[in-house]
Amino acid sequence: MSITIKLFSALREALGESEFELDLVEIEHAPNELDVAVIKAALSKRGAAWRDALNQPNLVHALNHKVVFTDALVAEGDELAFFPPMTGG
Amino acid sequence: MSVCLQAESIDVAAEYARLVGDTPGAAVATFTGYVRDHTDQQVVTELALEHYPEMAQKVLDELGRSAAQRFQLSQWRIVHRYGVLRVSETIVGVGAVADHRGDAMSACEFMMDSLKTDAPFWKREQGPAGEQWVASRDSDNQRRARWQLGETQ
Repeated sequence: MSITIKLFSALREALGESEFELDLVEIEHAPNELDVAVIKAALSKRGAAWRDALNQPNLVHALNHKVVFTDALVAEGDELAFFPPMTGG
Repeated sequence: MSVCLQAESIDVAAEYARLVGDTPGAAVATFTGYVRDHTDQQVVTELALEHYPEMAQKVLDELGRSAAQRFQLSQWRIVHRYGVLRVSETIVGVGAVADHRGDAMSACEFMMDSLKTDAPFWKREQGPAGEQWVASRDSDNQRRARWQLGETQ
């Protein structure tokens, strides 16, 4: 019962991790209410650096390679990425 | 009608030949972006491009297909580099083939404006003053928004 978390750019640097598995069993949530906001809240408990990084107002969340809002539901096997606004081109 | 993510420099002539093929449409437009040697604030000597490979491929594929539908393209191509790039090297190339020049040129502009804000790439500039992540620009977001509002055909 896990999802893959990916971090990019300044977030990856600030948190010192680029990818890891997150066990969903450890996360407290109401039935059918496991969304991106719940995952963010759970990761924010890891410390001030995580809380600051994941609560930046312009943070982008991508679930299975698609940008989503924090109310997107998360399921086992999903890939959830957090990163700053994109600067391609 | 394809996307290429690559570390190596973009061979612009080869990309053009591939885009046009044996039977060119009436209008072919391309855009190539190169690494600038400066920003508003500092001199730039090198650019590192981080990317999210699986998502970048997916986003750019969808962008190309969207451009093809919106501008009736018979052919399109998006090439984006990643890794460490030096000043004056290519970063990105887009190309579009259509029956009319307006569609071909608009398609290139649409693809560029969209990929700047929607494709998961992050630039880190290096210069004499040090390294820093490039912040997203309001002007890029505004250019992207024009297409969403339908102000441009």
